[in-house]
Order: sequence, then structure tokens, then C-alpha cells
Amino acid sequence: MARFIAGRIVAMIGVILVLVLLLLVLQRYTPADPVRAKLGANARAELVAAERERLGYNDPLPVQYFNYVKGLATGDMQDSLRTRRPVAQDLGAYLPATAELALFALGLAIVIGGALGIASAARWRGSGVLRVVLVGGSSAPVFLLVLLGLLFFYRRLGWLPATGRTGIRDAPEGPTDFLVLDGLLALRFDVVGDAFKHLLLPGLCLAIGPAVAIGRTLRGSIIDTMGTDFVRTARSLGAPERTVMRRHALRNGIGPALSMTGLQVGLMFAGVVVVESIVAWPGIGLYTVQSIPRLDFPAIAGVTLVLGVLYVVVNTIVDIAQTVADPRLRG
Amino acid sequence: MAVAEPYVAPVPGRFEKSAPRRRSGTLSFTTRFDKVALGLLGFVTLVALVGPLFAPHPPDEAVGSPFQPLLSPSFPLGTDDIGRDIFSRVLYGIQSSWFSALVVIASGVIIGGIIGLIAGSSGGWIDSVLMRITDTFLALPGPVLAIAVVAALGPGLRNTLVAVALVWWPYYARIVRGEVRALASRPHIEAARLAGAGRTRIMVKHLLPGTVGVTVVAASLDVSALILTLASLSFLGLGAPAPAPELGAMTARGLTYLLEYAWIPLVPAFAVFLLALVANLAGDGIRDLLGRR
Repeated sequence: MARFIAGRIVAMIGVILVLVLLLLVLQRYTPADPVRAKLGANARAELVAAERERLGYNDPLPVQYFNYVKGLATGDMQDSLRTRRPVAQDLGAYLPATAELALFALGLAIVIGGALGIASAARWRGSGVLRVVLVGGSSAPVFLLVLLGLLFFYRRLGWLPATGRTGIRDAPEGPTDFLVLDGLLALRFDVVGDAFKHLLLPGLCLAIGPAVAIGRTLRGSIIDTMGTDFVRTARSLGAPERTVMRRHALRNGIGPALSMTGLQVGLMFAGVVVVESIVAWPGIGLYTVQSIPRLDFPAIAGVTLVLGVLYVVVNTIVDIAQTVADPRLRG
Repeated sequence: MAVAEPYVAPVPGRFEKSAPRRRSGTLSFTTRFDKVALGLLGFVTLVALVGPLFAPHPPDEAVGSPFQPLLSPSFPLGTDDIGRDIFSRVLYGIQSSWFSALVVIASGVIIGGIIGLIAGSSGGWIDSVLMRITDTFLALPGPVLAIAVVAALGPGLRNTLVAVALVWWPYYARIVRGEVRALASRPHIEAARLAGAGRTRIMVKHLLPGTVGVTVVAASLDVSALILTLASLSFLGLGAPAPAPELGAMTARGLTYLLEYAWIPLVPAFAVFLLALVANLAGDGIRDLLGRR
């Protein structure tokens, strides 16, 4: 077991190192020259050459790679060409908002997906309609969902706010940087309610695609387990259907759905960028969108690195958790 | 010896038939449904092919007064903020979305297919190395990586397609490799090998055809995901530059008018939805009709 976990962690580090290599290669070939961007288009040629030398752009690729990794290990992600601040500092400022939104959406996706999978596997009344709606929802681009949500809940009903994280000016800047939690800790329930309202629409729109994928996988694996001998035995011993579902089908069928959840995180990251750009959510998605037209590659590389590492780590954890929980997977 | 009762041969299929017949009701329903889905697929492809010929106006020029609503005379889907005909632009946008998705799928299938075929039929260290590379790419979040690649290469339709194709092949490499491994141990491949067929010949003539079915099914189930991903990248401003009629970019640029002139961003977004929906249904249809997985 320890060996398996160690192997997975080594593989994870390998993947992250490859990601760093890819970003370095991309950076070398990007047409936007960071040195020119820093010194201005009219900088003297010697100055540019000196700065290139200083930044190590003339070193051979392996040396650059080593220095890049060393920099990253100490939290140095170079400077943004747009904001002129260190990318690590920018990310630190933008990341909590994205983390709050993404975690909320992931939670929603798991709840909705789980309910959907169980309901349609157990053929509850109305689950067919629900499925059609959600499958339709998963064919919709996330920006369409947000637009329709804005038109309906903001313009027509006026229930939900349109943009941003909160409308309250003196919201606490607390220890977690998650507005809902900070509001709770500071006992500012107006902030909690307001922040939650702001989370609801973007979170729900982000959750629908992953929820359908999770639900489909869960449904399939529950139906598979329902056909096994031990479920038949449990039924013939007189176990009520609810118990069969909870104790036997769900427990044994949850593995593939868990893997799917890990994989959907990657899709959700791409969705976050789109959603944040629409509702002006002050997170790293908005940061990315603002960096794109300025060809601010250090910033985009930083975002890619953070999201990529998160994705790899999440999937490694899912993998390990599954193997720990399910003895059948231990080879 | 008593004369035996005349032996009544079981009518073949008498019992087998009655059992499937109960299911055949649903079976024919799904088949009909699948055929409708495939018909829709053909229709959308036709629209993508010849749609622009039927565009009543040039897509990039102001042809009427701005902000004309849906169903106005001569502008069935209204006009946008500078008076361009949205219907014509959407027709061009559908062409671009649909063929972009097909191009990326095709390159993913070709790159992944070649890698999977080589890995699966060679085995040994070649297999390990190629699959290690594939798994590394599979372990990275494709859409996020695609954003970084386009941002590095510079926005533009061609660069977007290259970027997405670069992150889209590993899935096919895995599928093809698995299928090739399964096929390689089958008798007809063994027979070919014993008959002295070379490695390349076995690969191209005997292994490759066996992987087509699985790959087609996987690819057709993948088209809608790709349409959505490409539309998102275009929405983020990574597609073709400004006046080009791309559905995602049209939505993004129309965003400002959402509250007053909702159709300007909504029409292209709905077009993406319809494309993805048709692709989804047709993908399911192809899977059912080919009866795999």
C-alpha cells in the first residue's frame, strides 16, 4: 500500500515537471517578447541584450528549465507583463475568489450528480424528465446558461445579483478569504447572505455539466452492481430496497463516479474562466481573460500551472482514496 | 420398441424470439430515434456545408439599422449593434464551429491512432514509452492547457485548432492501443504473422481495420464536447480576430447588450447549444447502431 501511494506521488511529480517543461517551451516560442514588453519597444538593442542575458534567455534549455523549476519551488513565477507585479502575488490575490466559487460548484455538482444518478438508477418518479433537462443542460455552453440565468433571475425576477462577489462595501477581509466563511466568522450574516446570493448563479451554471457526467457514471455503475449476486442475496434475505441501495449498490458503485468527479474538475476549471469573465468574478479566470489580449504569457503560465497542479493533485488523491477504500483495486 | 412420438424440431427462434420481442418495442423505438438523430446530423452537416450560400447578407458588413429585433422583415434573427445581419453571421459561424470540431477530431484520431497503433503493435519498450507520454498528457487538464497554448502561439482560429488538437489526441491513443492489444492475440493476426506478413503489413492491413469501429464511436461521442470547448475558447477571445463570425466570439461581444437587446448574445449561444445537442444525440445514435460499448 505504501509502495502504491509512493508510486502515485512520484508519477504526480513527474507529470507536474512535464507541465513545467511544456510551459517553458511555450514561453520560448511565444511571439510576445517579455524583455521588449518590460523595457518598451524603443529600448536600445544593447539594453535588451543585457536584460536577456540577465534573465537567462540565452542559456541552453536544460539550464533554463532547472532555473525555472528552482524559481517555482521558491514561489517565483516571474512578473506579469500587464500588472508589473510578481505573478505569484497576483495569483495570491485572485485565487481565493476562484477557490470559493469552484469548491461551491464542485459541491453542487456532487450533490446534483449523486441525486441524479441514484434517482434514475432507482427509477424514481420524475427522474426521466429531470434527466432530459440535465442532458439538455450539459449540451449547453456554459456561457448560454449564465446568460439565461442572468436574464431570468436578475432581470425578470430580481432575485439574484448580476456581477461580482458581494455588494457590501465593508465586507470583512477575514482569515479564509472565502466571503461566506469570513462573514460567518465575523458574525456578519448580511455578508453571508449576500455572498451566497452572488455565488448561486455562477456556481449552479458551472455545476450542471459535471453533475450530468457524474450522474451518468453513477447511474451506470449502480445498475451494474444491482445485477450482481450479492445484491440478489441481500434482496432475497429481505433487505428493503433502500438498504440495498444504500448499503450495497451505492457503496460498491461509487468508485467510477468518484473518478469521474476528479476528471470533471479539469472541465470545471475551463468553465470557471468563462463564467468569471461574464459575471466579473474577481478570480483567476478574470485575471486570465484580462491577460489574454495583452499576450501576458507569464500570467497565463502561472494560472495554467496552478490549475494544472491542482488538477493533478486532486486526481492523485482520488486515485489513492479509491485504492485505499476498495481492496479489489490493489493489484 | 415403441414408436416414438414424432420428434418436433424446435422451431428456431420460437422461444428466443418471444423474449426479445418484448424488448423489440423499445429496440425499434431507439433505432428510430437514432435514425432521427443521424438525420439531424446530416442536416447540420449540410447546413454547415452550404449554409453560407443561403446567407441573405454578407456577414461582415452593416446591412441595416442596428438593434433590429428577431423576426424583423429581411432580418429573421435581427441585427447586431452595428447593423450586421445575425442570421447570415450565424450561418457562417455554424460552418466554422462544425468544421473546426471535425478537423480537431480528425487530427486527434490520426495522431492518437498512429501512436496507439505503433504502441499496441510493437509492445515492449516502445509501448511503455509511448503510453507513458500519453498518460502524462491525459493527466493534465486539456482545456486549461489549450488556453495556455493559444495564448503562447497568439490568438487566431488556426492556432486554436492546433492547440486543441495537441491536447485532444491522448484519449484516442489509449483507445486504439487497447483495441490493438486485444486484437493482436486473435487467431487471424497470428495466422497472418505465421504466413510471413511483415510487421507494417499486419499493422496496416489487419490491425488498423479492427480499430475503426471503436474509434468512430468514441469520436462521435466526443464531437459535442469539442464544439463546446472550441466555443469557450472563441468566447474568451482566442479564436479568429474581431469581425470574423464565430459563435463564441459573437456571444462575448454581444454581452454588453444582454439586458436591452438580449437576442444579440443569445442567438449565437443558442446556435452552439443546438450544434452540441445534435452532436450529442447523433453520437449516442452511432454508438447504438454500431452496437459497441
